Amino acid sequence: MLEVKNLRCSYGTNQVLKDINFRVDKGEVIAIVGSSGSGKTTLLRSISFLHKADGGTIRFFDFEKEITRLKSAEIRQLRMRLGYVFQNFNLFRNMTVRQNVMEGLVTARHMDKEEARKITDEVLKKVDMLGRAEYYPDQLSGGQQQRAAIARSIAFRPDVLLLDEPTSSLDPELTREVLNILTRLAAEGITMVVVTHEMEFARNVADRVIFMEGGVVVEDAPAAEFFNRPRQEAAKRFLRTVTGDFG
Amino acid sequence: MSERLWEILISSLPNLLLYCVKVTIPLTACIYALSLVLAFLLALVQVLNIRVLNRAARIYVWLFRGTPLIVQMYIIFFGLPSVGITLDAFPSAVIAFSLNYAAYMSETIRASIQAVPEGQTEAGYMIGLNYFQIMTRIVLPQAAKIAFPTLFGSLIGLTKDSSLAASITVVEMFKAAQQIAAKTFEPMALYCEVALIYLLLNTVLTSLQRYLEKRLSWRQPAVD
Repeated sequence: MLEVKNLRCSYGTNQVLKDINFRVDKGEVIAIVGSSGSGKTTLLRSISFLHKADGGTIRFFDFEKEITRLKSAEIRQLRMRLGYVFQNFNLFRNMTVRQNVMEGLVTARHMDKEEARKITDEVLKKVDMLGRAEYYPDQLSGGQQQRAAIARSIAFRPDVLLLDEPTSSLDPELTREVLNILTRLAAEGITMVVVTHEMEFARNVADRVIFMEGGVVVEDAPAAEFFNRPRQEAAKRFLRTVTGDFG
Repeated sequence: MSERLWEILISSLPNLLLYCVKVTIPLTACIYALSLVLAFLLALVQVLNIRVLNRAARIYVWLFRGTPLIVQMYIIFFGLPSVGITLDAFPSAVIAFSLNYAAYMSETIRASIQAVPEGQTEAGYMIGLNYFQIMTRIVLPQAAKIAFPTLFGSLIGLTKDSSLAASITVVEMFKAAQQIAAKTFEPMALYCEVALIYLLLNTVLTSLQRYLEKRLSWRQPAVD
């Protein structure tokens, strides 16, 4: 469904992504793991065009094009079908939770207000935020903000939901409530690509794990295989560090 | 205080208030409205980074912030006639003030727009909004809230500064006080009286600011 080939990306002279290839199939949940600075977030940002890639090809269903040649209208069309959840939520601060969710439906997609409201209530219920629909982001906890942000990005039924470290700025208790929601969404069959440090989540929820280091994909394997029998030395080292198993 | 002094103060009050309502307030309102529009345009071309205009705006701000307001006023009112452009005192004051205030206020607006976190724009793009929609629905409303106290401060400053227009013969409230003081030989009393009226005016404006700031606030009292 979504595939990138030979994706290259840099910050100034620092090459952050070196020839990345990966694909996502419908209904799949992919966890991208790796230590800080390995390029996970940049990968997510460049396939959603928030960071300009140096080169590579993107294929989305039957649309395929060299990524640097995309016109802004094409980028907007692609974005219409991608949901994105940010590490620090980025809810619109001048809007209530309900307005945040409705914005993508009414302003961007010209949906009828009544219908948009119905969908909004549904997705807010799904993330247990219906009771907070009239709250402004500043009045919510981090976990609540992130759940509202998830509602905002699934409201328009994106083909793929991209999540950039959705729990990294939350404390453990709030992390749990967000992960529970994501687990529920995964069970519903929503296609997800999650950059995460939550190994438990990756192990239990992801179908596939992509392990990155130094801007390259070192290992791309089914979750069970990655956690039980990692092939690459770097992956073994990484797993030892994050699971605290130094033996 | 002598009876005569009281009499002067009381009899001059309606006159001063008349000039306040007839000249000072309209002068301030005209200048503020014009400079707000100009400042917004100046800020916008810088934020949008429109090549030539951006540079022109920077030069404009440099020029009008870098020279005294009163000099700018003199150039427009006393200087321009020598190149064949003669303007009345009131429009001269409006033009000079507006050009000057716009330079300052454009910096406030520009900084406020740039203070809205980049993540807000990115989130806007990712739900499918275009740049125009992001600006009008997300960035500008948030920037307005940030800019509001400073821009309102400019209005309060302007209300007082408008008395400088007296120097190019605009008969506004302060000039009226000057004239009465000259006639009655009571400068101390008259200037204190006019100072009080300015103070009163700005007290009203300050309360208005507080009220509007509350209205602008998105944080509503908790519902539960």
